[in-house]
Amino acid sequence: MEKIKQNPIVKKIGINRIVLCGVLILMYAFFCMLSDKFVGIQRIMSALNYAYFLGFLSLGVTFVIATGGIDFSIGPVMFCSALISGYCLTSYGVPLVFSLLISVLVGALFGVFNGYFVAYWTVPPFIISMASMNIAKGLASVFTKTQSVSWPQSVDANGWYRNFVKVGNFPVGLVIFIVFAVICSIILNQTKAGRYILSLGSNKEAVRLSGVNVKKWEMLAYIICGTLVGIAAIFFVAAYTTVQPGYGDTYNNEAIAGCVMGGTSMAGGLASISGTVIGVFIIALLQEGLLALGFSKDYQLIITGIIVIVAVYADVITRRRKN
Amino acid sequence: MGDIILTMKDIDKSFPGVHALDHVNFEVRKGEVHALMGENGAGKSTLMKVLTGIYIKDSGSIVYEGKEVEFHTTREAQDAGVVIVHQELNMLGHLTVAQNIFIGREFKKGIGIDDKKMNEEAAKLFGKLHIDIDPAETMSNLTVGKQQMCEIAKAISHKAKVIIFDEPSAALTEAEIEELFKIIRDLRKQQIGIVYISHRMDEIKVITDRVTVMRDGTYVGTLITKDCTKDDIINMMVGRVIYEDPKTQSSVPKNAPVVLKVENLNAGRMVQDVSFELRKGEILGFSGLMGAGRTETARAIFGADPKTSGNIYINGKKVEINSPQDAVKCGIGYLSEDRKRFGIVVQKSVAENSTMAALENFVSGLFINKKSENKIAQEYVDSLATKTPSVDQLVVNLSGGNQQKVVIAKWLIRNCDILIFDEPTRGIDVGAKNEIYKLMNRLAEEGKSIIMISSEMTEILRMSDRIVVMCEGKKTGEIGIEEASQETIMNMATREI
Amino acid sequence: MSKSGVNAPEEKKGSVFSRQGSQKLIVLLVVIFLFIFFSVFSANFRKYTTVLSIMDYSYYIVLMAIGVTFPLITGGVDLSIGTGLICYSLAGGYLIVHCGWPTWAGMLVSILFGVLIGTLNGVLVSVMSLPPFLATLCTCMITRGLGSICSKNFGISWPTGGAEGSWFRNIFKITIGDTKYPLGFLWVVLLVLLMGFVLNHTKIGRYTIAIGSNKEATILSGINVRFYHIMAYVISGFFAGLAAIAYSAVFSTVQPGTGAGFELEAIGGAIIGGVSASGGAGSVGGSLLGVFVICLLKTGLPYIGLQANWQQIITGMVLIGAVMVDILKKKKAQTA
Repeated sequence: MEKIKQNPIVKKIGINRIVLCGVLILMYAFFCMLSDKFVGIQRIMSALNYAYFLGFLSLGVTFVIATGGIDFSIGPVMFCSALISGYCLTSYGVPLVFSLLISVLVGALFGVFNGYFVAYWTVPPFIISMASMNIAKGLASVFTKTQSVSWPQSVDANGWYRNFVKVGNFPVGLVIFIVFAVICSIILNQTKAGRYILSLGSNKEAVRLSGVNVKKWEMLAYIICGTLVGIAAIFFVAAYTTVQPGYGDTYNNEAIAGCVMGGTSMAGGLASISGTVIGVFIIALLQEGLLALGFSKDYQLIITGIIVIVAVYADVITRRRKN
Repeated sequence: MGDIILTMKDIDKSFPGVHALDHVNFEVRKGEVHALMGENGAGKSTLMKVLTGIYIKDSGSIVYEGKEVEFHTTREAQDAGVVIVHQELNMLGHLTVAQNIFIGREFKKGIGIDDKKMNEEAAKLFGKLHIDIDPAETMSNLTVGKQQMCEIAKAISHKAKVIIFDEPSAALTEAEIEELFKIIRDLRKQQIGIVYISHRMDEIKVITDRVTVMRDGTYVGTLITKDCTKDDIINMMVGRVIYEDPKTQSSVPKNAPVVLKVENLNAGRMVQDVSFELRKGEILGFSGLMGAGRTETARAIFGADPKTSGNIYINGKKVEINSPQDAVKCGIGYLSEDRKRFGIVVQKSVAENSTMAALENFVSGLFINKKSENKIAQEYVDSLATKTPSVDQLVVNLSGGNQQKVVIAKWLIRNCDILIFDEPTRGIDVGAKNEIYKLMNRLAEEGKSIIMISSEMTEILRMSDRIVVMCEGKKTGEIGIEEASQETIMNMATREI
Repeated sequence: MSKSGVNAPEEKKGSVFSRQGSQKLIVLLVVIFLFIFFSVFSANFRKYTTVLSIMDYSYYIVLMAIGVTFPLITGGVDLSIGTGLICYSLAGGYLIVHCGWPTWAGMLVSILFGVLIGTLNGVLVSVMSLPPFLATLCTCMITRGLGSICSKNFGISWPTGGAEGSWFRNIFKITIGDTKYPLGFLWVVLLVLLMGFVLNHTKIGRYTIAIGSNKEATILSGINVRFYHIMAYVISGFFAGLAAIAYSAVFSTVQPGTGAGFELEAIGGAIIGGVSASGGAGSVGGSLLGVFVICLLKTGLPYIGLQANWQQIITGMVLIGAVMVDILKKKKAQTA
């Protein structure tokens, strides 16, 4: 085992991520064995649809968790973005391009809101999450007068945004998602913003005493998260068309699960975008597999809950051992 | 003074790399107040921690009430009647005074807690001690002094026979100290043995019967208080040979320009009206005992804590420093006494830590130029002789001295001209210490100006060109290295009434 | 300076003007103000039936708030109470409706289920040292799934008016002659008094406050912190179980998949009522008053022509406001 760990290639990729990839492949094989319906491109495409929006949520929340914070308003905020922008599109006739921009903007504004209170007011992140979760739900319901919103189908005049997800059977969404993941990885590892976000997650006071404006960078993490949530909303409607007000909180846990499974530490300072990406694929595959086996969404909720508990506990133990 | 109640003999205790207690002897009699003195790091607290079961001794014996004992937890010591009143208070601010005193051993009434009885008992206790505190008051509403009184009352409620006061007066006002002394005299009458740890010479003279002095983890001697003078005690505390020859003369020319001028700086209780000047190429030593307000002064100058008033001039120009950001912009760098909390990000690499304060210099376009970052980090690893396998190594894996060098590199890369070294060699072994000293001298020669806060007298005398002495938040003296000696500094650092 | 150190004027303990008392008083005034405000602007609001419906809406939230006050005081939080409530109600209801269990047995199952999940939360937080919000966020999702599975994804109606086994509805609203009386309010007040006693006069309460105040010092005092930390979450779970019964009694049908957001109303109420978001301070009575602020908003807003959803937004804002007040207070105390 030690020998494997010391292997330069293994070291470079990280043992954690190799294991995760293994889990992903095994899971796929497992589902294929249990259900012959699972084999084939349709299921994979369907799992990918799920992975896109969840992936953007997960990427976003990775930044927040890297600062040592948390955001579990992301699911409802995504729905709020999709509902407000969709309502603008369908009821007010706002052009599609602007509707999409509105979606991103709504997400970003929630990021500003959350980040401001966490960074400048030191309100505990979980309180802010709880508050903005409800504000998002309420706002969406008020804005849409508690109606659900159906985005245009691909054959409709305004349907071209669906090409973000796929053209024919080609998974365009996968390409876009990977591109975004790479960008996020670059932001996190190659830029000043990412450097400060990770460092302040590890030791905020030391970074502050280095003359860094930690509040600004902490808030930025929440803004990045919000923006990605706004993008997630676009991918959600492009895949599933209809959004209903009052929902979205089940996705919080799945996004956080993808993130912590991938090796991002709840204590902050340690984050891995590639880990998050694999984690998201595992969650998406799990969802699709359980569906194929005839289990309802409820089992997914339970399993995700357990996954998060196990992943975070593993992190707690590793940290304890290090000290 | 009564019979001996406690004898500690040949107590030996080592930590990795440090021989903290070297065959120390100590005894307490019934009804005496026995002072335990020594410089910071002399081993007083360690000795008391061995006694109360926080540390386990390596060898030696503790005889208490005629029996050899060894306590494994503070609880065991408490139950036997040996209690310590800590410097940092272990209080539960949201509970009442009585609830704090009886936490963990509440009186029961049916299924509930008998708060009435607890209040009565606490009131009785306070009555005995002649303290005027309402037992039903919420703890956090009390002044620090009264909280301390509650801690004492709690200690006594354990039916203590030996009470250790670890710098009890540090946070007290004059009047509160008077009350404390009244209580201590009362306890003495009740034949309780008292250990009194303090830096305040005048208090020692007023309240104690005997003084035991420790130095560098060894036992120096015990004196009868009324038969000795302050100078006797100071001599015992400092009487050590300084191996590395101290500076005899300032290396800074008299006309060197003033780079930093601090005028009437005030920040809370610990920084009162502090003024001083720092010249180019100078190492200005800040001496004083623990809690003298040196670190607080440094943090206020650096903008890490808010200040209430005062002016700061850099190169003759007045500057506004309200945050570390402002300070760094003015070219000030601060090396904290607590590296792990305030100095480094342990889970990040040497290179990342080195460029923390000057990251914008390594950004080309949008991205961090890791190549130039690593290059400069490597340069400083080489020039400071930091021992690390590579600049990618996580700082957590380096030794204390090398971590310190990384922090120094951080400020040098930021090109700071004024460096505040707060206890630069704390927790660093002897060899590395010398390296840090050489480095500081080199920096001063290169024209950097250094403020060095240190609790080690030898360090102050060896490094400083000029020395500022602080005591209880005030500047109590300033002398050139030519006139400085351990005795003069210690005299300034201890309080006179 | 030396004089003020010894003879500092100290606040009178126990008077309504002491720090905690004054917050309760302010919240009480807000409750009264809101009631008058809505009454002035809407004639319909002034009716007895409105009061009845406010009461109906308040029971389950108040019960949750009483329970969650304990984890909040330890410095944690319990986010699982909302979905948990629905889950416990569905489980109990399923046994009554589909398995022919007597009502009391179903009620007992609801409560025990709550205690079980509470214990799980306690173990996750205290023994496994997971962050409380994360651990309970997970159990929130788990209970949500479990609830749907228990009920096979159908809504469940506990026995209704007149049917056999519907006696439990009378616990909360009893009809004497032609008038309905909000009997539940009596029980709620009694429970608030009881838990107020538990919080202030028993070891469980005392150590709950101690843990929230300074966990390290509590451990040093030789107290079994692990046990008492778990107990705080058990209490929260137990009351979520009671809330499940109240919810089943007041509403005709319990739908699986709902319940998210209830916890905000309870936690928000507790924090408005003076529980500190950073632990240590709080009172059960304050939580009760805080919940009534939220319930009045919820029921009152539609009467002045605002959608009920505005209440969600306003609750969120009020929660942040309450926490900010708490933070400012602490800052002030530090500098003073």
